[in-house]
Amino acid sequence: MCSDRALIEVRNLTVDYVGEHSVVRAVHGIDFDIMEGEAFGLAGESGCGKSTVAFALARLTRLPGLVSGGQVRLNGEDVLKFNKARLKAYRWNEVSFVFQSAMNALNPVISVAEQIMDVIETHEPSLGSDGARARAVELFELVGIPPARLDDYPHQFSGGMRQRICIAIALALKPKLIIMDEPTTALDVVVQRDIIEQIVELKTELGFSVLFITHDLGLMIEFCDRIGIMYSGELVEVAPAEAILTDPQHPYTRALGNSFPPLTGARVRLEGISGTPPDLRSLPEGCRFAPRCPHAMERCRLEAPELRFYPTSQSEAACHLLN
Amino acid sequence: MIYLLRRFAFYVAAFFVALTFNFFIPRLMPGDPSARIIASFQGRLNEAQIDAIRQSYGLTGSLWEQYLTYMGSVFRLDFGISTVQFPEPTASLLFYGATWTLVLVGLAVFFAFIIGSMMGIHAAWNRGGFFDSFFTPINVMMNAFTPAIVALLLFYAFSLQLQWFPLGRAHSTEIMPGFTFLFIGNVLYHATLPVLSIFLVSFGGWHLGMRNVMINLLNEDFVILARAKGLSDRRVRYRYVARNAILPQITALALSIGFLLGGALVTEQVFNYPGLGKFTFTAIGSRDYSFIQGQLLLLTASVLVANMLSDIANVILDPRLRT
Repeated sequence: MCSDRALIEVRNLTVDYVGEHSVVRAVHGIDFDIMEGEAFGLAGESGCGKSTVAFALARLTRLPGLVSGGQVRLNGEDVLKFNKARLKAYRWNEVSFVFQSAMNALNPVISVAEQIMDVIETHEPSLGSDGARARAVELFELVGIPPARLDDYPHQFSGGMRQRICIAIALALKPKLIIMDEPTTALDVVVQRDIIEQIVELKTELGFSVLFITHDLGLMIEFCDRIGIMYSGELVEVAPAEAILTDPQHPYTRALGNSFPPLTGARVRLEGISGTPPDLRSLPEGCRFAPRCPHAMERCRLEAPELRFYPTSQSEAACHLLN
Repeated sequence: MIYLLRRFAFYVAAFFVALTFNFFIPRLMPGDPSARIIASFQGRLNEAQIDAIRQSYGLTGSLWEQYLTYMGSVFRLDFGISTVQFPEPTASLLFYGATWTLVLVGLAVFFAFIIGSMMGIHAAWNRGGFFDSFFTPINVMMNAFTPAIVALLLFYAFSLQLQWFPLGRAHSTEIMPGFTFLFIGNVLYHATLPVLSIFLVSFGGWHLGMRNVMINLLNEDFVILARAKGLSDRRVRYRYVARNAILPQITALALSIGFLLGGALVTEQVFNYPGLGKFTFTAIGSRDYSFIQGQLLLLTASVLVANMLSDIANVILDPRLRT
């Protein structure tokens, strides 16, 4: 289901947050690819830069955020250099977004029909309002909501239904990539499962790629093909999903995996990760994880490791221990 | 609907309470309204004549009887006879004054609300830009002026010195009142300075209110989603942000009506404009109880009506209240 052709290539992407007196580098030169039809996950602690990457990909970064370097290539074209007209087409025709909080992602005072139709009418004016309406009906059927409810307002739907509507909106123009920034975090586990199953189904049917962001590592491993682990604005490991728990290369990935309770088997004491992520205003000189890493060596404190591919594990990792 | 009915019941109850207060408060003061008239005849009245005058003011019988008489007359829109403009009925004076006050306050509020809100939308959308950093502080400063100072300055400069505008009245005495362009133009010409002085002290408030609510909304997920959808700038600004920001503004508008009617009192005095404020001023000076009572009642009623209109507007604009 996932080809070898890269849809999105992120190269050396750097995003800063500019303050009055200081500049903080929230994303520090990261590289990754998203293949056609692939579900790529980004995981990491809060504040590690996952959402910042997602926003930069959709060109949604706004001051004080600033994309200060690197490239995001869509089929070879540099997204970061798009002019206004090209950008308008890029947004939603090629990349769409599903937000974390279904509660706030819909405009509370206009009907959901209008919120689906406006994006269709903006990008495909030739359809007209009847055509847009017909498409909205299809989309509602696709995500399993009775089309009779199109003219209702967001507050008349449950949280799960609202997230389905957000997914319907994301699918409106059959985009190549859907960025899902914690799409199920605000929902209870049963609804979470429904939504994820629905996304998997739609993905198989329509063949779009997904950039999936969540704190829920278990969910991510189940849903994604490959996963990138971020720490303090850098990618520390990119590996096939199943390898994240079974064959982690980076000590941070291992620690992250150990922080999740296994559902079956004997009770084990959860380890967690001692310490806190570094302050982005005063970063350690070498590896950013070194101060919290149980295996840190002299070299780790002096020299930052680079992300390298290790054929034995089929994964990329940035750690001196592996060399 | 039930919401509106509940609100309506509340306003009716509030109006009754106000009526009752309006009845008792003047009666707690020493001396009664008829005393002034009776005194003006310097003892040339006999018992029967005094009784007749007292009766015409509803001052005979027990307090309870007086209360019932009062309530009955209010519902017949009979506010008694003015003592200053004796024997003019108070109701017709009130009606005459209220019409001109409505012209002044109506025009001023209309322009202040529209222009102030538009400026607020523009300032918030280009936050920190030239427009925002120039007009926001200036408009806030304008808002801090009292109506009296602005009215006096305008009157002195444009009526007394430059003589561009008339010294008083709502229209020239030479022109026949009626729905003619000549008359309406003349009314607007006379209303220009008073309207301008109310406008100048109030539009900054709408600017600031709109700007602040807008800025808070700009970070809402549904606004970010609207931008990500590639919708036009205009559509995001008005249909997604301003459409939501207008709701608290409308409530604030209703709350400001009482304040504005109070403010018009000074403005009318300065421009010698025949509105409610000017009559009230005279009435207070000469203890014209029936007028003061009627005017208070009218003020209460207009605040309640304004609030009710804002409730209705909110129900129309906010689907969440329509359940």
